[in-house]
Amino acid sequence: MTAEPSGGQIAQTEPIEPTATIELPWRVLPDYRCFGCSPANGKGLRLTFQPDGDGIACALRFDRDYESHPGVVHGGVLSTVCDEIMGNLLVLRVGIPVFTTTLRVRFITSASIGVDYRCVATTTADSGTPGPYQARAEVFDEAGGLVVSAVGQYHPIAVEENRDRIDMTDEQAILIERELAKLRADH
Amino acid sequence: MKATDTGESIAETVSGLIRQAVGDVADDTDLRMIEGVDSVKVLRVIAAVERTYDIELEDEEVFALKTIDDVVRSVRAAVEAQGL
Repeated sequence: MTAEPSGGQIAQTEPIEPTATIELPWRVLPDYRCFGCSPANGKGLRLTFQPDGDGIACALRFDRDYESHPGVVHGGVLSTVCDEIMGNLLVLRVGIPVFTTTLRVRFITSASIGVDYRCVATTTADSGTPGPYQARAEVFDEAGGLVVSAVGQYHPIAVEENRDRIDMTDEQAILIERELAKLRADH
Repeated sequence: MKATDTGESIAETVSGLIRQAVGDVADDTDLRMIEGVDSVKVLRVIAAVERTYDIELEDEEVFALKTIDDVVRSVRAAVEAQGL
């Protein structure tokens, strides 16, 4: 997605090397409102992801609605970005829903409002790996300098358990499971 | 690069990463006292080391690290712990 900063939304810039946006399995849900990655949530981050080497990446630029100290991007927002990209990477990789259990974020330096950044996530997990899973996310400035380094632990959730913990209809559960099964088959 | 690395190769790799970032310094030089090296540079190189070995050093440990020798010791301990 690309957008200009307006209405308090995050504007996401073009990827440095334009590549296809990754389709997330959640897109099949008619009322998909994820704060991190749903394009339909106007109050959310509306992150979009592109392939990046062995992982995935997203481009970032934040306006003042996401400010902490004057001119500085709020650390909680950056933490959410890191969590979101790692969680989605793992779901894409293992084809199973995951929940965050631990998130360690190290802020190397501050991120500025109105400046372009890039977040990259990687993991060694794949569909043959038993959980819990670990992933890394790093936010880089335009010069390639590291701004944030994060490590997350994620617990896989079986489809049946997922149904108990998430408010989904039977129809929605079938749609999601179909998408996740495709991911598992691809790996 | 994982727990199978020998102590010697850890020292070589870690010192290589640090020297690449801060220049050719002795193993016992206080990294933060080097001209042009600030806490951001040190944190970035520690992050590179953590990524290389897929380890997480505790914050208290990271902020106490001063020299290449210190970093090598911490990485060795973390890699050994990981292999347990």
